[in-house]
Amino acid sequence: MAHYELQKVTFTYPQETSPAISSVSLTIKPGEFVVLCGPSGSGKSTLLRLLKREVSPGGTMSGAILLDRMPIQDWPARELAAQVGLVMQNPDNQLVVDTVEHELAFGMENFGLGREAMRRRMAEMAGFFGLEPLLERKTDELSGGQKQTVNLAAVLMLQPKVLLLDEPLAQLDPLAARELLGMIKRLNEEWGITVIMSEHRIDDLLPLADRVVRMEHGKLAYDGDPRAFVLKSWNRSDEAWASALPSITRWALTQSPPEDQPMPDQPPLTVKETMKWLGQSTEASRTGDQVNSEASAQSTKRSEYTGQVQLAAEGLFYAYDKRYSAVLRGLEWQIRSGDWAVLFGGNGSGKSTLLQLLAGLRLPQRGAVRWEGTPFAKLSSKQRYSSVGYLAQNPVLHFAYDSLLDDLRQAASQSGAEDPERGAIEMAERFGITHLLQRHPHDMSGGEQQLGALTITLLGRPQLLLLDEPTKGLDPLAKQRLGEHLRHIHRQGTTLVMATHDIEFAAAYATRCSLLFHGEIVADGDPEAFFQGNLFYATPLHRLLALWEAKSR
Amino acid sequence: MKEGFGFRSLHPVVILTYYAGGITFGMLLFHPLVLMAGWAAAVIVNFHLDGGREWRRWSLPMLTGVVLILLMNPLLSHRGRTVLYYLGDIPITLESVVYGITLAISMLNLLTFFVTYRLVMTEQKFLFLFTRVSPKAALIAMMAMGLVPRLRKRMQELMLIQKTRGVTVAEGSMMTRARSGARLVGTLLSWTLEDALQTADSMQARGYGTGTRSSYLGYRFRKRDGLTLIGFVCIAIILIMTWGYGHGFLSIYPRLGSLALSSGDTAALIAYLVFLFLPLVLEWRDRRAWLITNYRR
Repeated sequence: MAHYELQKVTFTYPQETSPAISSVSLTIKPGEFVVLCGPSGSGKSTLLRLLKREVSPGGTMSGAILLDRMPIQDWPARELAAQVGLVMQNPDNQLVVDTVEHELAFGMENFGLGREAMRRRMAEMAGFFGLEPLLERKTDELSGGQKQTVNLAAVLMLQPKVLLLDEPLAQLDPLAARELLGMIKRLNEEWGITVIMSEHRIDDLLPLADRVVRMEHGKLAYDGDPRAFVLKSWNRSDEAWASALPSITRWALTQSPPEDQPMPDQPPLTVKETMKWLGQSTEASRTGDQVNSEASAQSTKRSEYTGQVQLAAEGLFYAYDKRYSAVLRGLEWQIRSGDWAVLFGGNGSGKSTLLQLLAGLRLPQRGAVRWEGTPFAKLSSKQRYSSVGYLAQNPVLHFAYDSLLDDLRQAASQSGAEDPERGAIEMAERFGITHLLQRHPHDMSGGEQQLGALTITLLGRPQLLLLDEPTKGLDPLAKQRLGEHLRHIHRQGTTLVMATHDIEFAAAYATRCSLLFHGEIVADGDPEAFFQGNLFYATPLHRLLALWEAKSR
Repeated sequence: MKEGFGFRSLHPVVILTYYAGGITFGMLLFHPLVLMAGWAAAVIVNFHLDGGREWRRWSLPMLTGVVLILLMNPLLSHRGRTVLYYLGDIPITLESVVYGITLAISMLNLLTFFVTYRLVMTEQKFLFLFTRVSPKAALIAMMAMGLVPRLRKRMQELMLIQKTRGVTVAEGSMMTRARSGARLVGTLLSWTLEDALQTADSMQARGYGTGTRSSYLGYRFRKRDGLTLIGFVCIAIILIMTWGYGHGFLSIYPRLGSLALSSGDTAALIAYLVFLFLPLVLEWRDRRAWLITNYRR
């Protein structure tokens, strides 16, 4: 018995000429773990929403979607809502009521369950997810990862057979993402729930998946086994496909001599598998050296120039409230001109706070930030904002007008451009977003908003740009494009400081890495030295190298 | 934190009865001495619940209101036979002064009493009661309550970032400030509305609107709830009867009567105090249980 069956599904949004989904046929067996990948705008979300009738978008659809051999339109509302659960991307917006306990109960209340039954399910689910200590808490006090766990648990309260996940990890930091993924994996393995999950970053997903479905322009581009998917992506030598692969896999595949065609079950997906794969290679020692040079090549560009100190943090001390402990405790840090510095640190370690202090948005309780030797306090706010640009984690915050063009024009005139209109359009051309100029900023996708906000910030012509998690929620290709834009800006002489969780992105571009811990910078230096000393804040390739060295010793 | 202990452990219905009764009697009785005693009782209840912290926080606004009533009544009302003083040609009568004092004490009494309401009747308990009346309205009320802190947090974030773009209410002429403010509010609203659509999806996805809702919130009606409720009802009957016979009043107009308490007034006073103190019996009982537990350890 097939759970889901899509028969030649074609879907067109109203007032659109080309279909968002065209002629997709797919059968999903009970208990399968299906990963849905593909670039932004390829129809992943639309497909997932079509599978869940309650949130299906308006438009014209042909073909049929069957659930247990019955078209989903024919299912009674209550049963269908219970059968299929949906978790979306944004952790905040899915929360409806105030406390965790009530949020978990919300679905059951909708179904009119009795109090005893609700309590039992609550006890079970809270136990499974380890949510008991949080039950009485307000939902808006939780961290992003906790919120998403609550969302997942709230959906599972209805005991669905199928779980649809629309990029549930995109807004989470890697640690929280991995935890949630472990949860999803357990649900799939222990409870036999069918999982259909769309995601950009499939590094951690590939080893778990039973099946990979790749969408492109609304069509199925691939449907099958994950390892065969890896090989196919690799052999296509198409950047859009290859960039989605885990870096460790990509690297391992470059190692295999072109004459031996790897077996379909072979491509390694994890560090452990890569170790094994390398062990099979005859010239093991050669490969070991190569790991070394590869790893250093990946984290490019040592600090080529040690320029003037541009921005200096001296003994920064900052607390949000006198009742809570301080976020920054006597922090010292210097940014030199020409740096591309990356700031690492755990969740809530104060990365964002530090960037906001460096941007002059907040003032420290003790200590000072100096811009080229002058303390911020002596500069006017206008001088501060024009020398230091700041790009917030949430790009939506940067927009204030009804179209992107208005926003850009205002930003250009704010910085004193003679012809703001032309400046705005030129900048938009540089970033390839001219087609978005008439759009309302809130209607753009996450990646587009990110580029738009970056453009706004750059129109202020800052000498130093601070970026807070610029790669959050971007697909691999968009990330690559962003990296190239940033590299261009950097070459033109803008100093960049970037707080991020994305170690691979940092390794590819940074000239300097720092680690924030307990309100102070505890490690600061060359990326190469930085990554080699770490196991957690390191790319898989560096981890492999560490293992390799331990083995050969 | 202290949920499930003493007064707070009572069933929401019992708590509602207590506050409904307390406010009704606080308004029905009109004798400065009775009300004074009621106020003292309310303060004691406050101290039992949180050491008087919340009461102290409200004391300044309460005092301001009371002083205002105290001054305004004799100035505005000139009823009464006994003229004390002429303020210009405005007669200040003894009766209206005493009436003002009594009214002020009555207000003070009610406000002090109501301070504890926020401590005992938590949002959860209130929702439990409200859901009985109208489940949908209760849900909307809850979502609206959650929206306020969320909007405030977002506004702070937005203002922080937008000031780098010169959209700020802290600088510039009145006109630009007003325009910036409007822009900020507009952005905040369209952003929030956008997100509300996702919340609606999340509700629908979990079967909202597929039929009648039930309520998860549950409070068990225990023996102590029953006993307390019976106690409230008995005292209320006694109080209403004494009130019906005209006790618990001070006759002020047209001529001030005697301040001394008649036996009927005393009965009303005692009943009123018993009513106010009744839930504290549970507080004392539970505290003793704690003391004993601590000794044995």
